[in-house]
Formats: sequence, structure tokens, C-alpha cells
Amino acid sequence: MPDTTKTTPVPADAVETDNTENGSNGAAAEAEKQPGRLRETVSILLSSKTALVGFVIVAFWVGVAVFAPYLTEYSPFDQDWKAPNKGPSAEHILGTDELGRDLWARLIYGARVVLVVMPVNDNVVLPGGTAIWGVVVALIVGAFLGLVSGYKGGWIDEITMRLLDAMMAIPVILLYLIIVAAIGASAVNVVIAITIVGVPGIARLVRSLTLDIKTREYIRAAETRGESAWYIMFVEILPNTRGPIIIDAMLRIGYAIFAMGTLGFLGIGMPPPSPDWGSMVAKGRAFILMGSPWAALWPSLAIASLVVGLNLLADGIREESMRYQ
Amino acid sequence: MIVFIVRRFLLLLLTMVLVSVAVFMIAEWSPGNIAKNVLGAFITPEQEASFLKQNGFDKSMPTRYLYWVAGNDWIASGKIGMPLKKQITDKGFEEWWAVDDDGSLLRWKVDGDTLVAIRKKDDGTTEEFKDDSRWTAIDGGKHEFWGVDTQNHAVRWVKGDTEKVWVFVMGSGWVESSGGPKEYIPLKKGFVRGDPGISFRTGRPVAKSLFVRLRNSVVLAGCAFAIVMPLALLLGMIAGLREGSFKDRFLSIGGMMFSVVPEFATGIFLTLIFSMWLGWLPGASVLGDAAPWEKPMMLVLPVLTLTLIELGYVLRITRASMVEVMKSPYIRTAFLKGLPYKQVVMKHAVKNALIAPITVIMLHVNWLLGGIVIVEVVFGYPGLGAYLLDSALYKDFNALEAGAMIMVTVAVGTQLIADIIYTFLNPRIRYA
Repeated sequence: MPDTTKTTPVPADAVETDNTENGSNGAAAEAEKQPGRLRETVSILLSSKTALVGFVIVAFWVGVAVFAPYLTEYSPFDQDWKAPNKGPSAEHILGTDELGRDLWARLIYGARVVLVVMPVNDNVVLPGGTAIWGVVVALIVGAFLGLVSGYKGGWIDEITMRLLDAMMAIPVILLYLIIVAAIGASAVNVVIAITIVGVPGIARLVRSLTLDIKTREYIRAAETRGESAWYIMFVEILPNTRGPIIIDAMLRIGYAIFAMGTLGFLGIGMPPPSPDWGSMVAKGRAFILMGSPWAALWPSLAIASLVVGLNLLADGIREESMRYQ
Repeated sequence: MIVFIVRRFLLLLLTMVLVSVAVFMIAEWSPGNIAKNVLGAFITPEQEASFLKQNGFDKSMPTRYLYWVAGNDWIASGKIGMPLKKQITDKGFEEWWAVDDDGSLLRWKVDGDTLVAIRKKDDGTTEEFKDDSRWTAIDGGKHEFWGVDTQNHAVRWVKGDTEKVWVFVMGSGWVESSGGPKEYIPLKKGFVRGDPGISFRTGRPVAKSLFVRLRNSVVLAGCAFAIVMPLALLLGMIAGLREGSFKDRFLSIGGMMFSVVPEFATGIFLTLIFSMWLGWLPGASVLGDAAPWEKPMMLVLPVLTLTLIELGYVLRITRASMVEVMKSPYIRTAFLKGLPYKQVVMKHAVKNALIAPITVIMLHVNWLLGGIVIVEVVFGYPGLGAYLLDSALYKDFNALEAGAMIMVTVAVGTQLIADIIYTFLNPRIRYA
């Protein structure tokens, strides 16, 4: 049965590229250690128009997200009750929403929540965007399940996989609705929702990789040395699955952004008043037919451009690197 | 072949059972807030406990699951010692009655220490009379009675105990009443018997509103599907015929853009273009009680949004499949035989290129369902998705779980169909 997750084969060096461009995790540093690879990456980027366009869009959003506090004089929460639902003007370049909050400020702080910081509660803010955290946690859980069920096999494998199959049978949107109905809306819960939805796919991928790797000779050697099962799983097998896993993770970040927007739009994402693209659209939607489309238009454009950018980048890189082979 | 289908079907049933347990457990993890949603934010803990008890939330998870799946009228019927019967009133509310030996319908209420029976005759009239003979003695000199109350619960009353409870009365809301009810079973027939219970939000049977919502959603999805499929398969094949040509790049990048943009953003763009700037179409689907086909204009934008999103996805898969087929040796052989281009494409390529997309599309139904939820919310279209969202936000468990199970059935069912179609289309598959 074909897998519903859209996994696309991308060679390992292309992955490093993706990471540097997102600039979100420490992969940039790793790429710098290998100047040859970096140069190759840049040349791929420059030779594909698609990838370049995607890169520019993604870089733009990462840039405004990182430097958000320096790019606007407003805070995303400042209300100006004298100027609600205004169009673009010199004071507010993108206009204001229904409470008179500056849309540009909310837009770039919204990008920040997605890509750069995760507000756990009023006091604690973790580095790394909410979407990124969702993918990372899903990776950890999924990789663990996949490793154990692939390596141990037998009834553990059977039960885990049947349960995950059942999870995958539930339409994603339904999982979101049910999870959020049960645990409420917050950044942590968005991460939990993204995790639960992501885990089955990742676990399947890791399991199939584990099944392949476990027949290799170095695993046989480790077993003969008398290493424990945990050592073999996490020291021998896991590092060797990283290529396809990183590729999968890249695709998942795009989907996590999509999911965050959707959750926000349904009113079950970030709690108000935090600047969240999805909920901005949901709020602004009510004012479209009253003649002020700005509050709904900008965040829609933002999320559309970011996901399209990510996909253009991935597509372009994949095509280019396939041409080299 | 038969064995294969049967095995797949059994697997489907197993999946459904697991999913229903999962849906149930996650949804009812914390039932606390439903009381606040129904009764208001300022209820006392006693009122909340009373509410939870009357709706069966004090029972253990396995018991609740059993009630939900298989109903509890048979359990209650055993306790009362009479068969039970469900009636739907003219206004669409449910009424449960116990059936007396002579065929007339009975319910009870307790007034002080007196048990009052309400008898409903065949002509619909009701009469009340004292029915104290039904009390049975229990330990400690007390008397108890299992019966059906006027709020569709099976209740165990204990004579003399006059705890205050909060009871929902249609028309006047929640009122305090006394009478010593000790244990409640909220009567329902259970999901598998077609009765998922009462909606907390509307007080009406879930099954009834669910049917209308499902019909609306099916109309929406059906229209979108009917437009998407031929169009996407055609465009995908055009794109896949010559990999790398301008047509191919244009179609595949365009398709990608439409398919990765979140549904709500696409919906907003279309609303802005067609209802705000051009003013051609309504920006929201206001149906009221009308069926969607009575107001086709309301359908245009939702269908268009769904179409754009699905189009890109199906197009890309068809294209990939077509590209692969065009590279295969038998196509080259056909060309080298000197067959005309048209014939090679129509006879040799198309048939084989369609195998992959058709099954993948069936598996894509999961995503289509997600798209429908969002599109319905964007345009305020009264379909199953919007109903689910409202129920989830309100914690209306009966409605949420029933709707969820319907969605899951659709998703899992299409996967089964996809598997079966695949074995027909691709004879190389062994039914192992």
C-alpha cells in the first residue's frame, strides 16, 4: 500500500542546503565545516531559477522573523482604537486590524512565532519556532517507535504498527479537532498536535530503514561483541538513518507551517492575542465584506508565500541535484 | 481474491475499533468543561457534579465506551423490568418511555415521597397518577425504584432522600429539583445502532442534524470531485507527455502552488477577487434550511476553492506517473514500430499511467476531508466539517464522536476501495 506521506528522494547534500537556508537549527555551522559542500550547494541554488526564487522568499521570511523587533516601531499588541480597520498608510504600512493593531508588526511577529521562537507561557519563551519544535518532537518520538519496532520485531512491532495504522486512518484535521477539544489551545498543544499527526509517518520511515540496516554486517558485528539492544539501536542504527530522516523533516516543516496556519484559522491554535497568521485571517475574514480586506489579505499572502517558497526551494534543489547525478 | 478482500475488510473493522477507542479516549479526556459550556461559567461544583452524573460522565471510561457504541437501553430495560421505547416528538426532540404490559407508555417523576407515573395513551394524550406500589424495599428500611424519568434517563430513585439536583427542562433551561434520584443512565441506543445520542449544543438527536450536514458536505465534495478528476487527469497527462517543456513546467509549478497553499488562504483570495472586487458571487454560503442544490450560487466559491487545491495534487501525481510511463521500454518499442504518436499515447501510455493516480487519489481522501472542513468554515457552509468544529469547540462529545466516526468510516472505506480497485487495475499484484 503506498504511503500517504509525500517523501521525495533528495540526496544528502541537498538537505544540508535546505537547513542552511532555513537558518533555524545549527546545521549552518555544520555546512561551513565542509567548504566543498557549501560551494556545491550555492552553485545548485544559483543554477536553478526555481530554487533561487524559493530561497529568496524563505530567506525574506526568516530575515524578518529574526529581526522583527528592529523592523517596526509598533508592538504586535498595541491597540489604536482611533484607527481600526484602516488600509495601508504612511503610519501603518500594511494598515491596521479591527482593534487598530499594526498589521505589519503582527505579520512579522507572527513569522517569528512560526520560525524563530516558541512562547510556552507568559514568561518562558523557547528558541526555535513553534513549527520547528513540532517537527523535532515528532522526529524524536517517531524515530524511537520506529527503531524499537523495527529492531525488536515480533509482537512489539505488530502492535505498534497496527496502532499507528489506526492513527493514520484518522483524517488529520479530525485529529487536530479532537486533540484540541481535549486539551485546549496553546503553543505547547500546537506542538503536541503536530507531533501526534507526524509520528506515524516518521515511525514507519524509520522502521523501514531499521529493517534494512539491521541486516548489515556491522550490526552483526556489534551483536557478536555482545552490545546491548539499546546500544545497537541508538548508536549503530540511528546515526545511519539520518539522511532520509532529515529529508523527511524538511518536508514536514513546510507542512507544520501549513498545520499551524490551519489550527490558528480554526481558532484552536495560538491563544489570542498572540500574533498568529491563521487566527489573524479568521478574525479579518469577518471584515472583508465590510470593505476592509487588509487584515485577512496580508496573513493569507504571508503563509501562502512562505509555503510556496519552501516548496519551490525543495523542488528546484531536487531537480538540480538529480541532473548532476 | 475473495480471501484478500475479506482479510482487508477484517483489517478495516479492526482499524475502526481501534480508532473509535482512540477518538473516544482523546475526546473525553477531560469532560469537565462541557458542564461549563452548557450551564454557564459560574456554576457551583455541585451543579457541575450533578450535570456530569446525569449525562453519565461519572461512569468509568469502559462503561461509557460501551454505552456509546452499543447503547444502554437494554441494560436499563433489565433494571426497570420493562421494555423501553424511543419516540421522536414533532419538534424533533427524543422521548424515552417504558412500555407497560398493556402496551401503553409510562414515565415517572417523584414528588416528595410519592411516585407519580405519567401514562401516554395511543392517541397521544397523557395522564398522571400515583404509582407508589412500584417501590421495592431495600436495606436500611428504604425503598427504591428504577424507572424512566421525563429527561430520558433511566433513574434509580430512593424514597425519602431529597438531594437537590439540577435538571434540564426544555424551554426553561436548568432548574433545581429534588426527589432523591441516586443513579442515572442517560438512555441511548448506541452508535452502531444508529443513535449517537443527544447533542449538548442543540438538545436534539445528533443523528438527525448529522444527516443533513453530511448530505451538504457530500454535495460539496461531489461537485469538486466531478470537476477535479477529469480536469486534473487531463492536465497531468498533457504535462507529463513532454517532461521539461514549457507546458510541463507551467502546469506543475502552478499546480504545486495551488496545492500547498492552505485552504483558508485560497478561500480568502477567491472571496476577495470574486465577491469583493468583481462582485459576481456571494462570499459566504448562507443556506438556512435550503438544500445546497436549491441555491447553486452559494456553492460556486467553496467548490472552486476545493477544486484548485485538489487539482494541483492530482495533476502532479498524474504527471509523475505519465513521465515514468513515457520513459518505459514498451513505449519506445511502440514508437520504433512506427505507430503514430497519437496511438501510442492513447493506447499504450494513458491506460498504464492511470493506475498510480487513481489509487493515490483514493488515499488522498483523508486530505480532501481536511480541505472540506476548512472550506466549510471559510464560507460558513453548513456541512459536516463546520459541525465538527463547532462540536469540538463546545465539547459536544456525542456530536463530535459521531461526526468523527463518520469521517473515519469514509476515509477507511475509500482506502479499502482503493486497494480493491488497484488489484483490478494492476494484475501483477498478488493478493498476499
